[in-house]
Amino acid sequence: MDRREFIKACSVVALMQVLWGCRRLPDLSGAKVPEIAEFEREVRLALSRAKGAFDLVQVPMPGPLEVHGASPVNRFGMAIDLDACDGCGKCILACMQENNIPLSSKGERDAGRFMHWIEMHGGAPAMCFHCGNAPCEKVCPTGAASHTPDGLSTMMYKRCTGSRFCGANCPVGARKFNYVDSVKEGLARKFNPEVPLRSKGVMEKCSLCLQRLQDHKHAQMATRPGVEWRGSGLKTACSEACPKNAIIFGNWLDQDSPLVQEAKHRNLYVPREIANLDPSVVYMRGRR
Amino acid sequence: MYRILVYIGAALLLLGAFAFGVSLWEGPTAWHTDVRTFWGIPISLFVLWIGLAHAGTLISAIFLALGYPLGRRTSMVAELSTLCSLAVAALFPLVHLGIIENFYMVVPFLDARGNFSNLRSPLVWDFCCISVYGLVSLLFFATHLFSEKFPDLKKLIRPMAWLLFPLVLWVHTIVSLDFAVTFVPQWRGAFFPLYFIAGAIYSGLALVIILLTAEHCRVRVLEKLMLGLSWFMAFFWLWEFLLKGSFSFEVVFLGAVVPQLMWLRVIRENAFGRLLVAFSVLVSLGLERYILVTPSEYNAAEYFSWTDLGLVSFSLGLFTTLFFVFRAKFSSLLEGEDVVMGEIVLQQDESDKESEKVSLPEKNDFSILRLPLLLGVLVTLLYVVWAISVENTNLAPLSVVNVVPLCLPLLVLVASFTLCARPLWGISGKRVKVVCAVLAGILGCLAGAFWAGGSSDVPSGAVSVQEIDSTKTAEFIWSSRCAGCHGQDGKFNEKFVREFYPLPQKLTPVRLDTLGEDSLVKVILDGRVNMNPYRGRVSEDEARGLVRYMRHLAGEGE
Repeated sequence: MDRREFIKACSVVALMQVLWGCRRLPDLSGAKVPEIAEFEREVRLALSRAKGAFDLVQVPMPGPLEVHGASPVNRFGMAIDLDACDGCGKCILACMQENNIPLSSKGERDAGRFMHWIEMHGGAPAMCFHCGNAPCEKVCPTGAASHTPDGLSTMMYKRCTGSRFCGANCPVGARKFNYVDSVKEGLARKFNPEVPLRSKGVMEKCSLCLQRLQDHKHAQMATRPGVEWRGSGLKTACSEACPKNAIIFGNWLDQDSPLVQEAKHRNLYVPREIANLDPSVVYMRGRR
Repeated sequence: MYRILVYIGAALLLLGAFAFGVSLWEGPTAWHTDVRTFWGIPISLFVLWIGLAHAGTLISAIFLALGYPLGRRTSMVAELSTLCSLAVAALFPLVHLGIIENFYMVVPFLDARGNFSNLRSPLVWDFCCISVYGLVSLLFFATHLFSEKFPDLKKLIRPMAWLLFPLVLWVHTIVSLDFAVTFVPQWRGAFFPLYFIAGAIYSGLALVIILLTAEHCRVRVLEKLMLGLSWFMAFFWLWEFLLKGSFSFEVVFLGAVVPQLMWLRVIRENAFGRLLVAFSVLVSLGLERYILVTPSEYNAAEYFSWTDLGLVSFSLGLFTTLFFVFRAKFSSLLEGEDVVMGEIVLQQDESDKESEKVSLPEKNDFSILRLPLLLGVLVTLLYVVWAISVENTNLAPLSVVNVVPLCLPLLVLVASFTLCARPLWGISGKRVKVVCAVLAGILGCLAGAFWAGGSSDVPSGAVSVQEIDSTKTAEFIWSSRCAGCHGQDGKFNEKFVREFYPLPQKLTPVRLDTLGEDSLVKVILDGRVNMNPYRGRVSEDEARGLVRYMRHLAGEGE
């Protein structure tokens, strides 16, 4: 090997090392993490900018899902008691802490957007209604929005390309898009290690605390194998946080579930736009 | 003349390139969006340019298929404008995406993990139709371009035109379904496919009229068609108004009233008059797309940010540059041939009368379509059967109806490539063959990469945010800071405490709940009675972790 070749080889190695070094992503360990008070402040801000009330129509109690492969024993959902709810917004904060929902940047707030999965519509909380016949899932090009057998409209974050078709097609605007990189901007805080932080360019929305359902199911499978899992005794973060007990989580197909027990005696309502889409989350008002 | 136009195009391109770069870098926050508008300007521009892309094939293929051949130059200009508009249009859906590198997930093919794109979504149909349309248009353009030099190709033109004819209408129908299948009240209407096709042809005709004016010639039949379509559009706008009550003065004035100036001889016979009308149509249609894509209650026109305008300028510049560069390129490439698109002759007389260079083939020439069509039908059938039987991650199985939108594009793709592959391969030089082979190799590699799928790692940024809920950290802090008085198990180090302090309250879950997490955090940080403040020594996060650990200890004690 002569000198020229040697220098060439060395420079190639050096170049490869430089390229290899570039592969590493910037270290974010020093990124700012927001204080909890900031989350509280943002919830108060969102409450002050509450959206208009939905036009509600009465519906019968949700029955078994009418999608292929749906579970005959489980269909999770919630009922929001409009008579009890006073719009305090504790559910929003609880939801943010449970699901690691980031704060919105200044620009986003000015555009009227918050990342909150629960928003106040005319003084009552509204989240994704988990329609059995969900319009968002139909238009998602990659299949990132799909339905679980037990009635949850779910998101696969890694499969999302951010086409925002689902967001445009949601009649109640329950879907939230990550317009900014919340980790890099110091807007995200990982309260709950079980829920991943979402990257920029991904759609997200209420998951009905999927992680709690999952844990509950696994715990039961481990401790009481052979017993059919109906999700009894489980609560979502918002229903747990509600001081008035106005959000009731349960299994629509389980007669002993607190949800069915309560909803039996009440009139059930949903927003007019989604009344035909078989929603799993409903409003309750008045006694029957 | 062309050089000046190329410079103008390049200037617009450079002005817009900055906005384009910002849009790529920033993502969807770069342009104007609001609570209800998730899409914004890129999709408006996409719909506009894909509409402009239709005129070329319409003028060339449909007129040819229906036995009304135009002058060669007119059709070549129109076809080239189709290809350039398609290139512009294809960029914008990519810019629009939140995660651009994931666009391949839209391809309706299975990967090794069983992921399959959702064939119910119009976006998947869109992607397929437009890629096929681009490829087939390119093939048609190449066949048409070389048919002067190689007369063998001439007999392919009309069968190709017949393949393209339904595809053009199909593609824009699918684009309209992007809107019409949704639940957005402003986008609903069964007339949308017709509305979009009419709008596309209308704007496309305006574009071709502008380009032909740059060539110093005019084709009266196109002007008549444009005038006719202005009435169609006026009718659709009226329909929309009656149905939804939405109405935009600018759009209707520029799109339906101004074109009526063509009735006046003064305007009609003047190149500037024709340009005025054609530009007014383009502006009207562009504005209409923008208003359509923005379903919020605000006045959309007020909300153009500079990036929005930059993207508009980018699209205009890119098209102008592409078109005139290629136009100059092809005219010099084929100089000396009989009639190519290049001759710059002042021809103010009617081009309609220009003798028809395209010889119409006899009826039996369509027999060469038999084998390609058969093959196309077979491949399409195979795909449909495979797609509806494939095991995918989506819960609901596909029905035949979901696959129907892909049938025609697939059929046309297979048929046109089978039709043209052999003749084109025969005439192409060695270099083209090598390029084709390399492209095929790359395509194979890409298919392999697609099958393998992307990484499913959680983004690394997610791990680095500190996790406050770690029991282990809390336990560590507890034993180092609190256990001295409160005891390792939370039941007090009684010996020590009794000596100095009155005995504090017992730690029970009930008491912890009544005090609440926040106030306990405050006690830890600021102190209370005999408890020392720990602010500075314990962060707020750690304090919260400690409170949760206290709950854990209290729960264990019972």
